[in-house]
Amino acid sequence: MGSITTEAKVGLFILIGMLLLGYMTMQVGQRGVGIKKGYNVDVVFDNVAGLNKYSSVQIAGVEVGRVEDILLKDGKALVRLRITPSVTLEKDVSAAIKTRGVLGDKYIEITPGTRGMAALEPGEQIRNVERQADIDRLLNQISAIADDVKTVSGTLSNVLGGQAGQDSIGGLLENMQALTRNINSLVVSNEATIRSMLLNAQELTNNLNRVVVQNDDKVGEVIENLRGASREMEKTFASFSQIADEVNRGEGTIGQLMKDNTTITNLNKTLASLQEVSDKINQGKGTLGKLVNDEETVNNLNQSLSGINRYVTKAEQFRTFLGYRGEYLWDKSNFKSYLDIKIQPKQDQFYLLGLVSDPRGRLTVRDYTPTGNVTTRTEEWDKSGLLFNVQIGKRFRNVVLRGGILESTGGFGMDYMALNDRLKLTFEAFDFSSDRNAHLKGYADVQLFKYLYLTGGWDDFISNRGNSSGFVGFSIRFEDDDLKYLLTSTPIPK
Amino acid sequence: MKPFSASLDYVGRTVMHYVEEMGRIMTLFFSILFWMMRPPLKARNIFKQMEFVGVKSIFVVVLTGLFTGMVMTLQGYHGFRLFGAETMVGSTVALGMTRELGPVLTSLMVTARAGSAMAAELGTMRVTEQIDALYVMAANPIKHLIVPRVIASVLMVPLLTVVANFVGIAGSYFVGVNLLNINEGDFINNIYKMLELNDIYSGLVKAAFFGLVLSVVGCYKGFNTTGGAEGVGRATTQAVVISSITILVSDYFLTAIMF
Amino acid sequence: MIKLVDVHKSYGKQKVLDGLNLAIEAGKTTVIIGRSGGGKSVLLKHIIGLIKPDSGHVLIEESDITRLSEKDLNEVRKKFGMLFQEAALFDSMTVGENVAFPLREQTKLKDQEIRQIVADRLRAVGLSGVEEKMPSELSGGMRKRVGLARAIALHPRIVLFDEPTTGLDPVMTEAINQLIMDTQKNFNLTCVVISHDIQSIFRIGHKIAMLYEGRIIEYGTPEEIRASDNPVMRQFLSGSVDGPIKVT
Repeated sequence: MGSITTEAKVGLFILIGMLLLGYMTMQVGQRGVGIKKGYNVDVVFDNVAGLNKYSSVQIAGVEVGRVEDILLKDGKALVRLRITPSVTLEKDVSAAIKTRGVLGDKYIEITPGTRGMAALEPGEQIRNVERQADIDRLLNQISAIADDVKTVSGTLSNVLGGQAGQDSIGGLLENMQALTRNINSLVVSNEATIRSMLLNAQELTNNLNRVVVQNDDKVGEVIENLRGASREMEKTFASFSQIADEVNRGEGTIGQLMKDNTTITNLNKTLASLQEVSDKINQGKGTLGKLVNDEETVNNLNQSLSGINRYVTKAEQFRTFLGYRGEYLWDKSNFKSYLDIKIQPKQDQFYLLGLVSDPRGRLTVRDYTPTGNVTTRTEEWDKSGLLFNVQIGKRFRNVVLRGGILESTGGFGMDYMALNDRLKLTFEAFDFSSDRNAHLKGYADVQLFKYLYLTGGWDDFISNRGNSSGFVGFSIRFEDDDLKYLLTSTPIPK
Repeated sequence: MKPFSASLDYVGRTVMHYVEEMGRIMTLFFSILFWMMRPPLKARNIFKQMEFVGVKSIFVVVLTGLFTGMVMTLQGYHGFRLFGAETMVGSTVALGMTRELGPVLTSLMVTARAGSAMAAELGTMRVTEQIDALYVMAANPIKHLIVPRVIASVLMVPLLTVVANFVGIAGSYFVGVNLLNINEGDFINNIYKMLELNDIYSGLVKAAFFGLVLSVVGCYKGFNTTGGAEGVGRATTQAVVISSITILVSDYFLTAIMF
Repeated sequence: MIKLVDVHKSYGKQKVLDGLNLAIEAGKTTVIIGRSGGGKSVLLKHIIGLIKPDSGHVLIEESDITRLSEKDLNEVRKKFGMLFQEAALFDSMTVGENVAFPLREQTKLKDQEIRQIVADRLRAVGLSGVEEKMPSELSGGMRKRVGLARAIALHPRIVLFDEPTTGLDPVMTEAINQLIMDTQKNFNLTCVVISHDIQSIFRIGHKIAMLYEGRIIEYGTPEEIRASDNPVMRQFLSGSVDGPIKVT
């Protein structure tokens, strides 16, 4: 027992405790996700008696969210739902309050809308609300509708009275019939293609829109260039018309050529063969013809459109963060700085590259025993000071594990994220060498504002070289968009 | 009329005594905060106290948590079975442990083990003039003796609570599923359905607060001991009594604030 | 060196110090004698600022420590060493750590140097090689000697002794007296000793002061004290029950 130090026992206990806490919160957190994350959607009911905050929201009996808040608005109940991020609701979904179980727990049942319809954006309202039939109101509405119908039919009979009216209407109807038949056959024969093309085009324009918005300046520039180009074109056209005039008057080589009858005959022949070619194309003969008339072409076009879509989406997923972190070590009275780039190709995975400036440097101790048995011990502070971080990390719910090179030595780290990532508890261990204790570091980061974090902890706390020191400091972390597009323009493995 | 005014006098004096004592504890608390901000803090002292408060309390806390979870399951089972809701036992125990029993029982056990020891140790140091010796050597006793104990308690009691929570729920699972044959899936699912992260976190906040209470009260009583060996005994008893009462009372208010 | 001017201190209704005046000379050993529970320890604690007087001044090398902040008071305290009645060793630390404690607190010396000084001080009190023992393993006399080693670890200019020989056998008493005298001479210390052991006071004291009813009633060299005709002094020295000092 004597060989286990106090620090080791305490450290082990803390580790076990943190693991248990991590396990429990991860288990519980699974359920909590539905409430903490996700987006809001509103729905208005006439009466929500029995519905509670945190009541379940279900689609086909599967929980997809919870009731976040119930408010009174214009004499009706505005219910705010929080929906799990992985579930998208179409714009024409409908909501209803249902009852479950013996105790009569109320929940909200959502009936899915048309597939392929645009999704509800966060903060929007569900329009279709099923409600229990209210006979009185139903009757009232029906009689109002009947009145409307009467007025409409009256007007109609006025318009349609007389022979002329009848004739023109007859013609109109015939035309419409023919038109609709044509459109119908067109649509029917190409239905699938048109639909997928429309969808892709829609997605593309969405994505393009986003790209354009982000690159507003550049677009302006392009338009400016176009304008310049068109000015140039105008000039070119002017000289063309001049040439044409000259040709007409029979001046110059071309003019003489044109005046000549043989030329015209040749030209006619050329045009005739051109006509032939275009006929062939129309009939689907020859390569070009096949290309134009073949359905495959359309498919290829479609595919390339979705390819572009995927590419743009990839860029959206790919994220890079820049970070600076300063720690004031009060026992040593100096300042340690960290500069990091975090590259995050997927939501739960990242690479971390960084520089650490450590004014304290690193202590190396060498024992030197010459022949005379007198040991001299030299202690050197390597003050060059710039250290490197190269780490790969993966996130499992609330726990982030990372490893690689920490402060220019091998090591690993563990982060525990709490309070929606606003609090981060970190433990790092590195610099494992035989002649000194490993460098252990523990600290907590608290988010103060959007980009600013407050940090405090204990650096090298089992040091036997007197390096142990508490510290406080701050860090700045923000996402960098330019860097993202730079990095995604190089090929990424799928 | 004489006995009446005498008893009134007694009541008044007792109340004043407690008010005064509360004030002195608060004064001590603020000077602890003050000295906490003064580096350097000796990591070694803090670790030693962490070992004493945390590591050495694991056994008793595990036992407490385990049997609390088991007993609650056994008792709850008979009640819930009356209306066929025995699968709710697990979630009841889990909620009870994380929100209330985990923090409260853990800190009561730590009070009995470590809070009393703090009072006794500091009390002995006081009556054998060791605290005076610290002053003479220009070393502030609050910083040297009290700050490490308070820091260690505030950090370790929540950690012990985590252990108690886990062991309690595990004990409940063992009794419920293995001995009472409650359906395992329903048992676990109900725990997931009822328990939220906030339950665990709020329990830990409570535990940290109780850690603060028991260490500050224990140190206060020890630090102000007078009257030799008997005084040390008195300080120890009072430290345990006052800490326990404060923990139970403040638990009510913390619960009222948090939920 | 040390001057107490008109110091008053009372606990409840009991006046412990009642207008006490005393000047202690530098480089000498001054012994303060008086009845048990007569305020000798209280007086000593005034000198080092552990107790603040109700009124009056305590001057240490011209600075009035009754008016100093905790921080400045600590600066003054660095000039002091003190040996407590029961030695007041920290029982959670080894003997070595006890002696090293003031060095670690007040200096930035390296471990190696501190070990050197600790060994040196322990040798000075005749206890080489006990660094790794715990205080509870030591006898009363040894504890006092370790306490002395700790008190002189920082080379103080003034050392206060609170009943250094109480509870020791005659041989050990003589050894401690010898040690106090040697230390005083070797380190050229100003010593203030509280005692009611008549034999010891004449042996170690350059100057002797008698504290009675909150004041110093006699002050002088051992010879002057022996020759004093103050009835209180006479009764105290002879140890008789009859006289102005009432046994209650």
